[in-house]
Amino acid sequence: MKAVAILAGMGLVFVFVWERVDVVRLGYQIERLKTQKVALERERDQLQVKFSTLTAPERIAKVATEKLGLIPPQPGQVLMVRQQHEAPLSPFAIEQVRVARHIKE
Amino acid sequence: MAGVTTGPSRSRRYVMLVVLLCGFGGILFRLVNLQVLQAAELTARADRQHQKSVTFEGARGTVTDRHGKVLAMNVEVPSVFGVPTALENPSLAARHLSPVLHVRRDELEKKLRQDKSFVWLARKVEPEQGQRLERLSLEGIGVVMEGRRFYPKGPLLAHVLGFAGMDGQGLEGLERRYESQLQGEKRVTILQRDALGRTVFPKGLAEKPPAPGHALTLTIDEVIQYIAEKELEETVNHARAKGGTIIVVEPRTGAILAMAVSPRFDPNAVMALTPDRWRNRALTDTYEPGSTMKVMVAAAALEERVMMPGTMLFGENGRMTVANTTIHDHEKMGWITFAQMVQKSSNIGAAKTGMALGEQRLYRYLQSFGFGQRTDVDLPGEVSGMLKSPKDWGRRSLASISMGQEIGITALQMVSAVAAIANDGVLMKPYVVAEVRDQKGTLVKEVLPQVRRRVVSPDTARTLTTILEGVVTNGTGIKAAIPGFRVAGKTGTAQKIDPRTGTYSSTQFVGSFVGYVPAEAPRLAMIVVIDEPQGEAWGGVVSAPVFRRVGEQVLNYLGVSRDDQIKIAMAKL
Repeated sequence: MKAVAILAGMGLVFVFVWERVDVVRLGYQIERLKTQKVALERERDQLQVKFSTLTAPERIAKVATEKLGLIPPQPGQVLMVRQQHEAPLSPFAIEQVRVARHIKE
Repeated sequence: MAGVTTGPSRSRRYVMLVVLLCGFGGILFRLVNLQVLQAAELTARADRQHQKSVTFEGARGTVTDRHGKVLAMNVEVPSVFGVPTALENPSLAARHLSPVLHVRRDELEKKLRQDKSFVWLARKVEPEQGQRLERLSLEGIGVVMEGRRFYPKGPLLAHVLGFAGMDGQGLEGLERRYESQLQGEKRVTILQRDALGRTVFPKGLAEKPPAPGHALTLTIDEVIQYIAEKELEETVNHARAKGGTIIVVEPRTGAILAMAVSPRFDPNAVMALTPDRWRNRALTDTYEPGSTMKVMVAAAALEERVMMPGTMLFGENGRMTVANTTIHDHEKMGWITFAQMVQKSSNIGAAKTGMALGEQRLYRYLQSFGFGQRTDVDLPGEVSGMLKSPKDWGRRSLASISMGQEIGITALQMVSAVAAIANDGVLMKPYVVAEVRDQKGTLVKEVLPQVRRRVVSPDTARTLTTILEGVVTNGTGIKAAIPGFRVAGKTGTAQKIDPRTGTYSSTQFVGSFVGYVPAEAPRLAMIVVIDEPQGEAWGGVVSAPVFRRVGEQVLNYLGVSRDDQIKIAMAKL
């Protein structure tokens, strides 16, 4: 009986110590994951800035004109494409498309 | 013999007893001293050693355009510091650092040779530079992360966005106006440290981290803003002008789609600039509008039935005397209709119209259109302009104000007033921020279009629109015409006051054009103001072409086709 009590007592002490150690271990783990999260968030923000900088209209226009040699469309070269539920293009508009293509070529 | 204590043995026991008592007494005294007498001080010292108080601040909110394109956001970037006392060879360290930080080697060496335990070598550098330094792992050189406000589009919309200072506080523009919403939550947290100084677990671990600031979604469209800035910059450079402004608004709602101010500045690098450069002239600077004011005079005259489009006015052959001063027209005119007076921008006709209205009625309409008062746009620094009360008017004031003199307005006031004509006579409140959302994307505040008041009837607005279309088809604003679209607008050329003489300058002008398109169902109202252009300064020459170029590109971008205009016109028949 006495031995059982001693064993139970030791068991309780062991559980208590194990629990304390585990709490500290989990504390370190949480801290490590938090650091990792901060680093990932930082990387995400930096990529977001990079994306926003690269997609700035000013930069796109510069690349389009200086690198790719594109020019802004002239009047008559821009035609709105109709969606299916809308009225089909008029023969006049089709002619405009043809003319616009011709100008481009 | 057992049980019998001899003299010397007893005395040893006493001695032992005394020694033990003294020992225990000492321990007891020490315990009382530590646990009771010095308890408060020692507890505080222990807390200082194993607890760390840290202020956490949520990131500043993001600002995006109406399509979610990021215009301002917070990013953590590396700052590089040195510990001179821990450096063995400052010269070698400077040699390694110089190519990475792009700072001269002798400058770095000078800093590293200082008798200090901490020196900044470069603050808020690019992330790649920080990574390269970490790879070098130089003794006595460290990298810490600091929050930096970043404007990825550079100068785009800078005058509206404003900027935040080094401590992350909004100093100008929207950053300042919406400081309380953009600022992240601040919270002080106690952290527990172990013997090695590592953080074990914070007290209140279950607590949420400090919330970031709210995000703003603007009414501004990044592409329209770019088009406006590009065209304005080109014109200001070409005309060798002092500056300029373009504002594009949606007439039905009052939402500002673009607000371009020249000269531009980059909010990422404001340290070297003066406040004059970042002032949002669209709402802080007043100017005499000149002939664009005739739109309001004409609206008042039509609404009050003082004039009809066909009412005949005599142009006095280009010269008329008012209060012992002479009013001139840019060309000699005889009998003209009221509509022609607007289209040909006759000063004499406008003065006569103003006189027919009378001081009180003209003043009432100008007030109603919003002059002499702030539009209450959600941007800081707006001025109310100058509209004197009729009791302070001189003998010439009625004529002068009718042709856009003796009145100080902002570009925003003028475009709002003309947008009211485009909006069937209803004046809307201009606004820049459409939505405020928290970090989860939940809507905190939605800004709905706000009607200020009805200024004129829909009939008057439609009649005036027809007259203003004539300005573009065969009047002074012919260069604002956009092929395939009906444009309504008005030119304005105002002499500036020469500060040296206090009289109107013969060399300094403000050329402007204000209008809307498509006239039958307006999608855009726009003002173009060019300040002190050199050479040709007429609004019809310097500003009207900018209206056309911006209008054409924006209508294309918005997908407003020429076919749509034909359908709208047919539907109205």
